[in-house]
Amino acid sequence: MTTGEALRKRVRQTLRDQPYPTVTVLSSLLAVQDDMGYLTEEAIQEVARFTGTTINEVWSVASFYLNFRFTPPGDHTVEVCWGPACHLRGAQTLLHDILGQLGLSGEGETGDSHISLKLNTCLGACTQAPVISVDHGLMGRMDSERALKAIQGASHPRRRERRHSREVR
Amino acid sequence: MAPEVTIYIDGKEVKTTSDKMVLQAANDAGIYVPYLCYHPGMKPYGACRMCVVEVEGAPGTPASCTLPVRDGMRVSTGSQAVEGVRRTVTDLLLSEHPQGCLTCHRVDLCGPQDICLRHVAVNDRCIMCPKNERCELKDTTRYVQMEQHSPLTYQYRNLQIETRDPFYDRDYNLCIVCGRCVRACDELRGDVAIAFTERAGQALVGTSRGTSLLESGCEFCGACIDVCPVGALVERDYKWEKPVRHQRTICPHCPVGCQINYEVDRRERVIRAIPDLNAPVNLGQACYKGKFGFNFVNHKQRLAHPLVRRNGELQEATWDEALTMAAQGLAGHRGPSFAALLSPRATNEEAYLLQKFARTVMESNNVHVASSSPSSALLEGLGDVLGYQAGTNPIWDLEQAGCVLSISNNVTEEQNVVAVPVKRAVRKGTKLIVVDAREVELTRYAHLWLRPYPGTDLALVGGMLRAILDEGLADEAFLKDHAEGLEALRRSLAEFGLERVAAETGVPADQVREAARIFATSRPSAILCALDNVPAEQQRPCARALAELAAVTGNVGKPGAGIYPLVRGANEQGARDMGCDPHFLPGYQPVTDEAARRLAEGTWGRALPQEPGLPLDQLLEAARQGQVRVMLLVGDVAAHYDGAQEPLEAALQGLDFLVVQDAFLSPAARHAHVVFPAETFAEKEGTYTNVERRVQPLRRVFKAPHVPEVQPDWWTLCQIARHMGAPGFDFSSAAEVLGEAARVNPLYAGISYRRLVESAVPTCRPSTETPLPTQVEYSEAVYHGLMWPCPEASHQGTQRLHAEGAAAGQGPEPTLQNLAMGRIQEGAGGARVQGQPCLVPLDWAATPRSHDPQRPLLLAMGRVLQQPQRETEVVRGKGLNRIQREELLEMHPEDAAAASLREGQSVRVIASGHTMPATVRLAPGLPRGVVAMTRLFGGLAVQLAASEAADPMARVPRLDVVPAQVEPAGPPA
Ligand code: SF4
Ligand code: SF4
Ligand code: SF4
Ligand code: SF4
Ligand code: FES
Ligand code: FES
Repeated sequence: MTTGEALRKRVRQTLRDQPYPTVTVLSSLLAVQDDMGYLTEEAIQEVARFTGTTINEVWSVASFYLNFRFTPPGDHTVEVCWGPACHLRGAQTLLHDILGQLGLSGEGETGDSHISLKLNTCLGACTQAPVISVDHGLMGRMDSERALKAIQGASHPRRRERRHSREVR
Repeated sequence: MAPEVTIYIDGKEVKTTSDKMVLQAANDAGIYVPYLCYHPGMKPYGACRMCVVEVEGAPGTPASCTLPVRDGMRVSTGSQAVEGVRRTVTDLLLSEHPQGCLTCHRVDLCGPQDICLRHVAVNDRCIMCPKNERCELKDTTRYVQMEQHSPLTYQYRNLQIETRDPFYDRDYNLCIVCGRCVRACDELRGDVAIAFTERAGQALVGTSRGTSLLESGCEFCGACIDVCPVGALVERDYKWEKPVRHQRTICPHCPVGCQINYEVDRRERVIRAIPDLNAPVNLGQACYKGKFGFNFVNHKQRLAHPLVRRNGELQEATWDEALTMAAQGLAGHRGPSFAALLSPRATNEEAYLLQKFARTVMESNNVHVASSSPSSALLEGLGDVLGYQAGTNPIWDLEQAGCVLSISNNVTEEQNVVAVPVKRAVRKGTKLIVVDAREVELTRYAHLWLRPYPGTDLALVGGMLRAILDEGLADEAFLKDHAEGLEALRRSLAEFGLERVAAETGVPADQVREAARIFATSRPSAILCALDNVPAEQQRPCARALAELAAVTGNVGKPGAGIYPLVRGANEQGARDMGCDPHFLPGYQPVTDEAARRLAEGTWGRALPQEPGLPLDQLLEAARQGQVRVMLLVGDVAAHYDGAQEPLEAALQGLDFLVVQDAFLSPAARHAHVVFPAETFAEKEGTYTNVERRVQPLRRVFKAPHVPEVQPDWWTLCQIARHMGAPGFDFSSAAEVLGEAARVNPLYAGISYRRLVESAVPTCRPSTETPLPTQVEYSEAVYHGLMWPCPEASHQGTQRLHAEGAAAGQGPEPTLQNLAMGRIQEGAGGARVQGQPCLVPLDWAATPRSHDPQRPLLLAMGRVLQQPQRETEVVRGKGLNRIQREELLEMHPEDAAAASLREGQSVRVIASGHTMPATVRLAPGLPRGVVAMTRLFGGLAVQLAASEAADPMARVPRLDVVPAQVEPAGPPA
């Protein structure tokens, strides 16, 4: 079986396993991204087949939302909030230092693809500003030193696994 | 019809109906409101805000295209507030569009003689844009009177222009994201080959991941180009040429008979094809052939002069020399040793004259319209049961069908526009049953897809009939009227037990039963059929069975029901109506019938031969054997004869004398003794009769300047006859020929060229001085044509055979949803059609299995628009994009086991002289003995676009089922 076929099998399984009562193009894309971390070309095609539409319509939905990604994410996700509260409490400096440490100039993956950096307009913990999150774990009242340490702690490679459980919580 | 309401637009009283939007009501009343995203025929969308108006007593400036009318509403279309909003909207649009030329203060001075040197950067000028002078954005910007100033900067998107796909270019730097193309592809065509991408500031239009149209599911119908208001989507041929005029005529590529407006440039070339928005046949749609396949009319290699054979070589001659030689050569062989063949692209008038010439001058009934489909068997079979050798219903009736049975045809590629209402109907819940071993485009939409062994259609349809009668699903009213015929039919169906049908066709009995149930219970149900791959001796019975299936279930004489015989040639129907058939005089009067002959003899003044001519295959055999010595071919007969040239050429080689009339020196013409250069469809006047029996006028689009001497075929035929001293050929126009034909052919008695042209109904639309979409501008009148039978000049024609009252006559034509230029005049109901369906018993016939030990399997080659489940790579190189992918060979598990092949194994498929690599995929749904392969239409599109042939669309490769051999490509993996 080609790797493409194996991938398609996995995508099809994910699509079938959606637990929600209403299955749409959007829910299907989310399910696949939850499982694999990003959307491959095969995923677009399989979602089209699964939902009975064309790849173009699926792409139309997928490309609309910033949350979908089409390249593999890093092993860990670091989000830095640059919302208003965090901005006032020094998010700029924090961001500058984190970018420097990771060798990035903006959102994206590090060269070794261990870390995906994302900017967030509010992580919802403004009282703790400035806030970052590492692999979806929030960390508040950050300063550069603690932030870099937290990121370093996460930056050893690990096997990619399911990011969210498929159970509805 | 929705209730009438009155609204006031700029103080003017406008009567309209409550289902209209304000913009439509204004357009219908000839009041212009600028618009960019609205397009007649598509649902209003409200994206551009150019159409804003003010409504008395309501706040703000609503978009009139999405504003429903209300009785007594007072609308103002040009207040200051409205104009202000429009200018702001324009400003925003132009912030991302090259706009120097749109707002330049020097614009009045600007022109071809005075191209400015400094005001606008060269690349940004409209003059560099293919849509210049026919651009809605430009016209609209001028219309709203933007302030003119020296050009501003704008945000250039800097996107790669997409020029590597077949037929048309996409430059999304010019796109104003009006969404018309997306909606056309989705709403009108049901394809969704393009969609909106991204969002907000970056929103644009494109394919999945921006790849090529080849794998996105595009059928290259051009609908998106036709609605694009700017230069973002344009045809590649003659990309920058400007039209000086346009003329409507009929597409010559298939029997749909789309009305198309052809643009002509100042050098007298046909440069663009724009399907007519209000034509009742195609409602603004066309297909890859009609849209991109007209260039042969301009072709350099067109024959310019008559040719005669001197010393064994074809040499140029004068018309007089050639005519004299043709007359002499033909005169020596009157009687059955003469045969005449007609291309299905010839007009009704030419068909009429050719058979008259063959019968009265040459005294032979050997006259045929060449066909690459089993059209004579198909139409005769329908005639046996339904009384008319023709389809029963108008094309757009299909939108109202509850069920469509599409059996052994390739409608999306061969009669494209017929598939459009089917796809639209399926979206609205119509059940589609596809019966075909091949995977064709419609199978994607099917509720039920049966894959019988190719050619076993008769058994399958018989099985369906049997199930319907056994289960009491037949139409009560019909059963009452046809008790007698029914008994015989029922008895004959004893042979068609479902288990036997299942064994013969390879389709499980419960699937046959399910198809029968869906067809019988989802009325109205319609049938699309072409008899592809049905063995010759079963074609006529199979057509009868299909007609009986329609009749027994009460599916004749109603909108949404009926049967659509999908022949291939543009005017095969008309040519047969006109008597280009060895058995029939015009109007299907048998040549063996003395009274019928008398009637024609009365008009023609000559005694007619009584012996019917030979069927086409026997005729060609007779020519090879030397019994037929002389032939006259009108048009490129070879292109329309079965796709295979050999039998025809072999027949032509040994002839004593061959006369050919053609626009090109075709392979057949190379064997000729005299060749006359002929006009193409675009230069002729005359009529075509389409698959609905609709007789439509061809109008002269242009006269090709590089071949001034060429003549229409009807003229040449008359001249040959006159040079032979024959009376009855003194016609001075095609219209006169039709006049005589109508006297001989009772089906056409009320039809005249003048009537067809003069009965055109003008459309209501704002003045053409205002910016309008090209399709709206060109649709200045609606040509309804006339559907036969049309027994007298006051008869409105017959829309539906076997219908009574309004359903039969030219009642309300199907019109576009939200037709902006509505108010098409509706004729009165027509007279009742004679002729009762008559049931004919069916005989069981088994379809022979392939016994060739070398090629034991049948390869069912299919073609579809998209296959998202398969890996496809688009290779971008020089020239056009190309598709690269591994092809799968579907195979029944038992066949695979017998050949020791496994799933995933690489094999070689050897068929029709080609060897193709493929990978085995086990498919239990296939009948045993059949293997199937499905390719992408994109591959064919590239092949056609890259073709060097003068008229590639006349030779689009078909999906034939062929014997094949499958062998392992190497040691099993
Ligand atoms: S699309 Fe229209 S406005 Fe834009 S450059 Fe072309 S002609 Fe000018
Ligand atoms: S040409 Fe292709 S993209 Fe355009 S409307 Fe037709 S199918 Fe859609
Ligand atoms: S390509 Fe043309 S039709 Fe399509 S959205 Fe852009 S401007 Fe409108
Ligand atoms: S559907 Fe037929 S008539 Fe219409 S454009 Fe295509 S080939 Fe021409
Ligand atoms: S602004 Fe940073 S968490 Fe809300
Ligand atoms: S918003 Fe009405 S035409 Fe675009």
